[in-house]
Amino acid sequence: MEAGTLKPNAVLRARRNRTDRIGDPLLRGLSALAALVAVAAIAGIVYEVVHGAWPAIQEYGLKFVTTNDWNPVTKRFGAAPFLYGTVVTSFIALLFATPMALAISVYLTELAPRRIRRPVAILVDLLAAIPTVILGLWGILVLGPFMRDTVEPALKSVLGFLPIFSGDPSAFGYLTAAMILTIMAVPIITSVTREVFETVPGDLKEASYALGATRWEMLRTVVLPYSKPGIVGATILGLCRAIGEAIAVAQVIGGATGINVSLFHTGGTLAAQIASQFEGSPSQLMKSSLIYLGLILLVFAVIVNVIARIIVSRGTLKDVKLDPEDGMTEAQAL
Amino acid sequence: MSKRLLGAFVMALALMVTVAACGGSSGGSSTSSSGGGKEALVGAGSTLVAPLMSKWQPEFESNTEIAVTYGAIGSGGGIDQITSRTVDFGASDAPLSEEQFEEANTQGEVEQIPWALSGTVPAYNVKGAPENLKLSGEVLADIYLGKITSWNDPAIAKLNPGASLPSTKITPVYRSDGSGDTYAFTNYLSTIDPEFSSKVGTSTSVKFPTGVGAEKNDGVSAAISQTDGAIGYVGLAYALENELSMPLVENSAGEFPEPGVKSVEAAANAVSEIGPKNEISLAKLPSSAKGAYPISTYTYVIVPLESGKAGELKEFIEYAIGKGQKFGPELDFAPLPKQVVAADKKALAKIGE
Amino acid sequence: MSANQHALLIDRGNLRRRNAVNRAASWASTIAALLAVAVLILVVGSVLLKGIGALSWHFLTTPTALFNESGGGISNAIVGSAIIVGVAAAIAIPVGILVALYTTEFAPARIAGPVRFVLDVLNGVPTIITGIFVYGLLVVPQQGQSGFAGSIALAIVMLPIVARTAQEVLALVPSTLKEASAALGIAHWRTVLRVTIPTAMGGLVTGALLGVARVAGETAPLIFATSIYRQGMLTNPGEALASIPIFIFHQSEAPSPEAHTEAWAAAFVLIAVVLLLNIVARAFYARSQRRMKA
Repeated sequence: MEAGTLKPNAVLRARRNRTDRIGDPLLRGLSALAALVAVAAIAGIVYEVVHGAWPAIQEYGLKFVTTNDWNPVTKRFGAAPFLYGTVVTSFIALLFATPMALAISVYLTELAPRRIRRPVAILVDLLAAIPTVILGLWGILVLGPFMRDTVEPALKSVLGFLPIFSGDPSAFGYLTAAMILTIMAVPIITSVTREVFETVPGDLKEASYALGATRWEMLRTVVLPYSKPGIVGATILGLCRAIGEAIAVAQVIGGATGINVSLFHTGGTLAAQIASQFEGSPSQLMKSSLIYLGLILLVFAVIVNVIARIIVSRGTLKDVKLDPEDGMTEAQAL
Repeated sequence: MSKRLLGAFVMALALMVTVAACGGSSGGSSTSSSGGGKEALVGAGSTLVAPLMSKWQPEFESNTEIAVTYGAIGSGGGIDQITSRTVDFGASDAPLSEEQFEEANTQGEVEQIPWALSGTVPAYNVKGAPENLKLSGEVLADIYLGKITSWNDPAIAKLNPGASLPSTKITPVYRSDGSGDTYAFTNYLSTIDPEFSSKVGTSTSVKFPTGVGAEKNDGVSAAISQTDGAIGYVGLAYALENELSMPLVENSAGEFPEPGVKSVEAAANAVSEIGPKNEISLAKLPSSAKGAYPISTYTYVIVPLESGKAGELKEFIEYAIGKGQKFGPELDFAPLPKQVVAADKKALAKIGE
Repeated sequence: MSANQHALLIDRGNLRRRNAVNRAASWASTIAALLAVAVLILVVGSVLLKGIGALSWHFLTTPTALFNESGGGISNAIVGSAIIVGVAAAIAIPVGILVALYTTEFAPARIAGPVRFVLDVLNGVPTIITGIFVYGLLVVPQQGQSGFAGSIALAIVMLPIVARTAQEVLALVPSTLKEASAALGIAHWRTVLRVTIPTAMGGLVTGALLGVARVAGETAPLIFATSIYRQGMLTNPGEALASIPIFIFHQSEAPSPEAHTEAWAAAFVLIAVVLLLNIVARAFYARSQRRMKA
C-alpha cells in the first residue's frame, strides 16, 4: 500500500532509453501535481470557510458549539442541535448501510448467478444517481408516511420504553432522514467493497474451502479480513456522503431547532441547515453563523477520519473497540 | 507512446480549448447583446414573480429588442447576486433589511421598487373538517405558537358555528428555508398578535416554537397533503393552481374574503402608506377595507441607481409596472394600485447613467 | 487467521449448525440485494409515474420554456448537463487517478497518509460550501456565471470519490505483478501504465462512474455557478448553461402542476442517462477485459 517498494535494478537502469528516463519523473511530477491540486482545493475551501465564519467566530467564540438555539430574529445562534442531528443521522445511516452494503457485495461477488451479476450491480449503483432533490421529495411523499404509519408505531410498541423510540411517530424527523442517508450511502459502500472483494486472491479462498470451510466461514476468515482496509475506506466514503448531504435531509428532517432524544422527532443537521437557510439569510451574522456550521462540519469530518485511521491501523478486528461516536461498524458487520 | 499518456494529452488539450472558450466570451452572459447597441439585461431572484417575468420577457424583447434573462433562484439568491453585481437587477419578495441595504450599497446605492402584488395563503388538510374553514389571525398565531393544538379547539369552533370539527391534532407546517412567504406570514401574525411578535418576530427566516419545517412551496404542499391535520402557508399562485384547500382568514372588517386577485387588490388599494425605502406592508388594514385579503404582499425589484444599463433597466421596470401588469390576473397577481405606480415612477426617475 | 483455520480442520460435529449459519448468511445477502433493488425500483417507479405525463420526444428535443410556461422541453438542459458534467469529469477523473497513483506508487508514507486524509475531508464538504467557494473564486471576479464555473464546482465534488476509489483498488494490485515487471527491467512508469492501471481498471471505471452519478444530480453547486441562463440551445461553457438539476429545481418551485410533472420527467431522464452511461462504460470495460485475456 505504501509507495517506494519498487526500485528498478541499477544494472537494468543503464539499458533504458531516453523515453524511460523522462517517463519516470514525468509521471511522478504529474501525479504530485495532481495531489497538490487536491490539497490546494481543500486549502482554498478551508480558507474560505474560516474567512466566512470569522464574524460569527468573533461574535460567539467556541460557545457556539454548545449553544442549543437558532433564532434569526434575536440573532442567537448555536451549533449544538445540528451537530447532534448530524451525529445521530449519520451514525444510524451507517449502522444500516454498512452491513447492508457488505451483504450486497457478498451477494454480487459470491452468490449471484454470473449472468445477473452485472445487471444487479448496475442497478445498485444507480441508487447513487438519483438526484438528491428527487430523493428528498420521494422521502416526503412515500418514505415519510411509511415511517409514520408503519415503522415508527411498530418500533414504539415493541421498544417504546427506550427514550429513542418515545414520542409521537412523525413522517419528518431524524429516523426518516437517516433512512434517506442509508439509501445514499449503500451504493457507494457497495461499489467500492465489491471491487475490493474481487481482488481477493482466488487461491486463498480455495484454500479455505479445501480446509472444509463453509462459504460463510470462508468469507469471515479470508475475504473480510483481507478486505478490511478497503471496507473501511468504502465506509468512510459512505459516511462522508452522509454527513455532507444537505438537500434531501433538509426536505425530510423537519427543520426544528433543539436536541431531542426521540428519533421520531424533527431536528436538523449541519449540512441541511446550511443549505436550507443560506439563501434566505436576513443578516450577515446569520450567513456567517451558517458558514461557522460548515467549519464545524469540516472539523467533525476530520475527527471521524482520524478515528477511522486508528481503527485500520489497529491489527485484527478482534482488537477493535467500537466507538459509538464515529459510526464505524465493521466490528458489528463481521 | 502509451495510450494513457496520449489520453492525458488529449484531455489537457480539451481543457485548454475550454479555457480559451471561457476566456473568449468574457464576463458571462451579462454582456451578450442582441441588437442595435442596446444591452441585454440579466436578473435573478424571486420565484414568486418568475411566472410574470416569463410573460414580460418575450413581449418586452419584441417591443424594444432588449433581451432579458432571468434566473428564478430565490429571493435570497437574487439579493446576493445584485449585491455582488453579478446580475443587473435582483428580485425579492421581502423588502430589504437595513443590513441588506448596507451590503448592497457598498458598490453603489440600490433602491427597491415594488413591481408586483400577490399574497400568502394558508392551506390545510383535515379529514372531516368543512371546506373553507374560517380562521382568524389570532387563531393562526396561536396555532403556530402551539397554544391551539387540536382542530376542535373552542376558538376555531367559535368562528365556525354549527360545523363539526374533528379532534385531530394540528400540525403547523412552516418553511424551513428562508422565504418571502415566511416574511409575509410572520409580518401579518406579528401585526395581529403581540405575543407572536415578541415570541417569534418577523423575518424571512424565524424560529417557530412548534411544528414541522418543509423546504419550499412544494415541500410544504407535500407535507400538508401527507399529514392529516396539517396546516401550512404557501404563495397564492401556488395554492390556486394546485387547488389546495384554503381556509378563509378573517380580515379587519370582520369578513372572510376568498383569497384571490380581487381580495388582494382590495387590500392594496386600502393602504396608501409607502415607506421611505418604498417598502409597503399590507398587514395592517383599516377596518373600512372591504373584501380585502389580510395576508397580501408586494414583491420588489432591486436595482442600482447608477449602472451602465440604467437606460435599459428603466425601460424594463417602466414596462413591468405599466403594460406588463396586464398579464397579472391570469397568473393570480393583482394590478398595482395607482398610488404605488406613481411612487414607483418617482423612484425610477432616480436611476441615472 | 491461522487459529480459525485450525478450528475448521477439527470435526467438532457441529456441521449442521455451521451449514445453517451459512444458509442464513446467504439468505441475508440475497435479501439485502433484493431490498436495494426494490428501493431503486420503488423510487424510479415513483419518478416515472409522476413524470410520465411530460415525457415525449418533443420533451427531449425542445429547449426549455420560460419559468412556469409549459410546452417546452429539456433539450438544452440535457446538453448543458452533458457539457458541465463532461468537463468536470475530464478534469476530475485524470486528476483523481493521478492523485491515487501518487499516494500508492510514488509518495513516501508520511505524505501519502495526509493526502489521503485531505481527500476524505474533501469528500465530506457539503456541496453548498463548494458552491459558495466557486462563487467567490470564479463567478464574482468574472462578474457572471458560467458553465465552466459549474464544472469546477462539480470536479471538486467528484475528485475525492474518484481518487479514493482509485486508491483502494490500486493498493490491492498484487505486488507480485509489479515486482515481476521490475524484474524484467521495465521502467517504473511503464509498469504503472501497462500493469498496475490495467489490473485496477475495473475499479477505476467504477470510481469514475460513481463520481459522475454523484454529480449528475447535484443542484447546490450549480445554483451559484450556472443557474441564470439565456433561452435556447447554449453550448459555450464560458456562459451560464442550462442543466437538468437546475431545471428540476425551477420547475418544482413553479406554481403550475404541469411544471411539476416536467420536473419529475426530467429526473427520470437524468436517471436513465446515468444508467445508460453505466451500461455502456461497463460493457466497454468487459470487452477490453476479454480482449486482454484473448
